Amino acid sequence: MNIQFKKGALELCVLVLLNKQDHYGYELVQRISDQIAISEGSVYPLLRRLKKEGYLTTYLQESTEGPSRKYYQLTDMGRIHMHSLMKEWHHFAAGVQSILKEGGQDE
Amino acid sequence: MNKEQFLHALQQSLSKLSEEERNDILHDFKEHFDVGTSEGKTEEEIAQSLGSPGQIAKELMATYYLEKVNSSSSTSNIFKAVWAVIGLGFFNIVIVLGPFIGLVAVLVSGWASGGAFAISPVLYLLNILIEPASFSLFSLFFTIGLTGLGILLLVGMFYATRFITKLFVRYLHYNVNLVKGGMKG
Repeated sequence: MNIQFKKGALELCVLVLLNKQDHYGYELVQRISDQIAISEGSVYPLLRRLKKEGYLTTYLQESTEGPSRKYYQLTDMGRIHMHSLMKEWHHFAAGVQSILKEGGQDE
Repeated sequence: MNKEQFLHALQQSLSKLSEEERNDILHDFKEHFDVGTSEGKTEEEIAQSLGSPGQIAKELMATYYLEKVNSSSSTSNIFKAVWAVIGLGFFNIVIVLGPFIGLVAVLVSGWASGGAFAISPVLYLLNILIEPASFSLFSLFFTIGLTGLGILLLVGMFYATRFITKLFVRYLHYNVNLVKGGMKG
């Protein structure tokens, strides 16, 4: 699959997951890789970029087992960004879907 | 590849980043390994799922360079803004001061020649007092004619000055708007 395409989808997945609740890195990566085949490491550069762009913030929280973990939290700006990405995604997906349907009729 | 090898490879590829940022990144991956192993995975399995540290570093560096371009372009934007302000100052000197001097010159010379024409008989009579030999009837009538012309010219200049002043003020306003508009861009 096209890398840029995949990255865009990955960004949307991260934002939507964090919209529901805060996650620490490992947890977030597992949530995504359970559904999509990705190089798990690529989530971290994405998280750093989203943080730099002001869409996410981080905080440390003690865990019951072991040292504290870095949690990622969606900002208001991130939520706005997520909604616009979702809109784009739905538009895109609907377009692809209708083309697939047209193609399917011929077969 | 185990945790140590993975982190070492990542560290190597991130040598261009500041130590603080590099350590922060390494810390994220350490945490990832630690949580993974606490869930019963081997370091090798985790490294395998993460993918190549070189690829991860590449993605991190891309963000770094993008940021650099953004910050330098904002610096160049500042320079652009400064240059624009200087340029506009110069622009004002040429565009505003030039016509202003030109118009003032026209008005001054108009008023001066009108005035001179109007008082030309007086000047002529003064001249005769100094040099009585230069008197001629033609010159006297000519200066009287000039007086009429001068008075007309002065009246004309009065209206011309009012009109030109109004026009110039409007031009000045237009120019200020132009400058403001330029600053917005």
